[in-house]
Amino acid sequence: MKPTIAKREPVVDDAMDQTEAKLRPEQIQKVINEVIDKETGGRLWTYVNTCIHCGLCAEACQWYLSNDRDVSYAPVTKIKDTIWVMLKNKGAVDAAFIKRCAEIAYTECNLCRRCGMYCPFGIDIAYMLLVVRRICAKLDMVPLYLQDTVHSHAATMNQMWVKPDEWIDTLQWQEEEGQGYVPSARLPLEKEGAEIMYSVIGPEPKFLAQLLGNITAIMKVAGLDWTMPATAGWDNSNMAMYSGDFEVMARVERLHHETAQRLKVKKIVMGECGHAFRGAEYDGPTWMGWMKPPIPIVHAISFYYDLIKSGRIKIAKKAEGPITVQDPCNVIRNGGLGDKLRYIMNAVCAEFVDVTPNKRHNYCCNEGGGVINC
Amino acid sequence: MPDLGNWDWKSKEKMIADTAEWKARFEDVWEPYVSPDGEKIASIVKIGEGEFNVCVNGETWEEPYEKLWYSRFSPDGRLTVLASKDMEWTMAVDGKAWENSYEYIWDTKFSADGKVIAATVKQDDVYGIAVDEKTWECSKELQSIASYVISPDGKTVAAIAQTVPLGQADLEGFLKGTWSVVVNGKPWQNNFVDLYGLTISNDGKKIAAEYRAAICDYGIVVNGAPWETTAGCTWEPVFHPNNNDVVTAPVRQGGRWFLATNGTFVWDKGFTNILYQTYSPDGERIAATVATSFAKWTVAVDGQPWRTKFGECVLQPYFNPDGTKVAAIAKDRGFWFLVVDGTVLGDGAYYDNIWPPVFSPDGDKVICKVEKHGKYAIAVNGKIWGSKYEALWDPVISPDGTKVLIRGIEDKKYYRRIVPLASM
Ligand code: SF4
Ligand code: SF4
Repeated sequence: MKPTIAKREPVVDDAMDQTEAKLRPEQIQKVINEVIDKETGGRLWTYVNTCIHCGLCAEACQWYLSNDRDVSYAPVTKIKDTIWVMLKNKGAVDAAFIKRCAEIAYTECNLCRRCGMYCPFGIDIAYMLLVVRRICAKLDMVPLYLQDTVHSHAATMNQMWVKPDEWIDTLQWQEEEGQGYVPSARLPLEKEGAEIMYSVIGPEPKFLAQLLGNITAIMKVAGLDWTMPATAGWDNSNMAMYSGDFEVMARVERLHHETAQRLKVKKIVMGECGHAFRGAEYDGPTWMGWMKPPIPIVHAISFYYDLIKSGRIKIAKKAEGPITVQDPCNVIRNGGLGDKLRYIMNAVCAEFVDVTPNKRHNYCCNEGGGVINC
Repeated sequence: MPDLGNWDWKSKEKMIADTAEWKARFEDVWEPYVSPDGEKIASIVKIGEGEFNVCVNGETWEEPYEKLWYSRFSPDGRLTVLASKDMEWTMAVDGKAWENSYEYIWDTKFSADGKVIAATVKQDDVYGIAVDEKTWECSKELQSIASYVISPDGKTVAAIAQTVPLGQADLEGFLKGTWSVVVNGKPWQNNFVDLYGLTISNDGKKIAAEYRAAICDYGIVVNGAPWETTAGCTWEPVFHPNNNDVVTAPVRQGGRWFLATNGTFVWDKGFTNILYQTYSPDGERIAATVATSFAKWTVAVDGQPWRTKFGECVLQPYFNPDGTKVAAIAKDRGFWFLVVDGTVLGDGAYYDNIWPPVFSPDGDKVICKVEKHGKYAIAVNGKIWGSKYEALWDPVISPDGTKVLIRGIEDKKYYRRIVPLASM
């Protein structure tokens, strides 16, 4: 199997370069075989052995399409150049190969799962590239920006190194901002037995704090009984899911769900983040052995759809001008919320212009999958 | 524990406060809290623009504050609230503020008898723990505190703290270890990549935690000394109730979870997951929440899972006083069930929520707070008993085991009731 000729600028990443210098062949082989033998099972083998190398998946991939149909970006090529080689060589590959695998799996694929819809057998290439990421994560061959975020998750249980007091302080400040819109609004902290626990992603307290003020006002107008935790467990995002560090992923998800259990809420309502929805709804619970989240999760699209449709909140003024929307993969293709998203867009925009292809056939924004971080 | 014997176990019913009247008096009334003995009910109330006070049994504290939050009663019945004035924060206890103020203060905790009050504080960007108004003196400038524990006697307070500053995106520095355990202000000698699941022995002499040695490499550390072997993953350890040399934790090997004591597997049968391992009061038995396979949750006692399985989750198990029975709260198809020794109590009764159960001293009755259709009630052996309440707190059994204290709000009035256990 000849390696594909891939025309790329050399990738300089201090973390990956240092790891490349340190990795030993026997260590690589052990990790690859451990992951393949103990963590993949029949799913990987079925996919690998079913693929007829037809290349129909290529047309699905925005990397392939936006690079003048360069075959080195085709989904099946990314598999051919990574997991196929690992399987064929029974894990006997070198550090330079692992680095190239990391470049492919972390920076040339968004795990958007569009290609799986184009494959006549429904082969989930994104799953196989996540297995590659898992191997890379166990070898510490992760791009610096992503690994730093995973370390933040591991140390603080949030994505942005937000310290415990900074979190609470920001909520209290944003409660006041929310009261600027609706004077009687309140952001209730640690209210056991509330109907809803509202959870957000790390960038909200860090860079987009006004969103917390906005939700304070919205919850008041909608007349909902809600709370937010004053402890770790408030962040629903999970870049460890994307780096392949599933132990950190599981710890973050466990804490998020246990925080909701501790607060005795009926459901978790989360902000807009698509990958966070995937982690909280599917990947995290699956690793924990839960069929589904032990406290149900409601994504922002479903939440706002219900609020607008039921008349609990009313749109005072629609946004002017033609406005379109990008369908986030994890909540639209993989979560089925495309129609609800359009209902919201039409409710809040004077002139909503849809994209093509749309809904579950959407293109990934190319930021997903941890390729770019918030 | 506070001395429950001093509480009023004689008065059948006391109407402590009419909270409807509070709503008329104040601009806003926050969710109420009640004292463990049931004699007091308190809410943070808004009295004007940027002005808050605390209303306890209808009386407000002398001094209002600009911000108040986290009102919590200590086990001995004192009301603590985190309070802010002039951009500074402090702890207010029964209306009296601590002399010291801080940039920030949070996470109030108590000794078992309630005599000791602790909280995490930040001052001049340095983190610490304040115990009864006195902030730790620490040789290192703590960069953050993730969590802390307090021994039952309140004499030992231990925290997971960042002891080494870390630059942005310094992966190497992070993997060298920036976190340690700080005990009464004194850091352990070694640092770790990460620390989780901090726990303290009943005598306060030993501290255990999970530590992360490297990416995907975890272990258990006791008083700074790691177990000999590491694992793919761990969950939080617990101490034997009467022997601080014995620590038990779930560890993951080859994709399965095992229970290990002092580093040796004590449950050699692997599970899909093991959570919340709990010792019986005498330390002879261990119960834990387990998934025997994907989405099949139950409780295992000494490694033997109950036959009944639940599809969604099972919370922490509870032993009865003599360690012969185990209760747990389980969720299946969207509803919560109370389960004892594998049997759903109350003829399969299900609820929208169930709070931690308490056993009667003889273990015959198990009592808890439940929620159904937006109302709260006491359930005895899984069946609703007595009135439905708008708000309710966990029932407390008297030290002699003959009476139950029920604290609840009915028609906006807060009642403290004593009921003979035999009548329930
Ligand atoms: S998952 Fe998406 S980005 Fe990755 S190869 Fe398939 S289509 Fe391309
Ligand atoms: S479309 Fe399916 S079968 Fe064809 S190359 Fe792609 S993954 Fe293989």
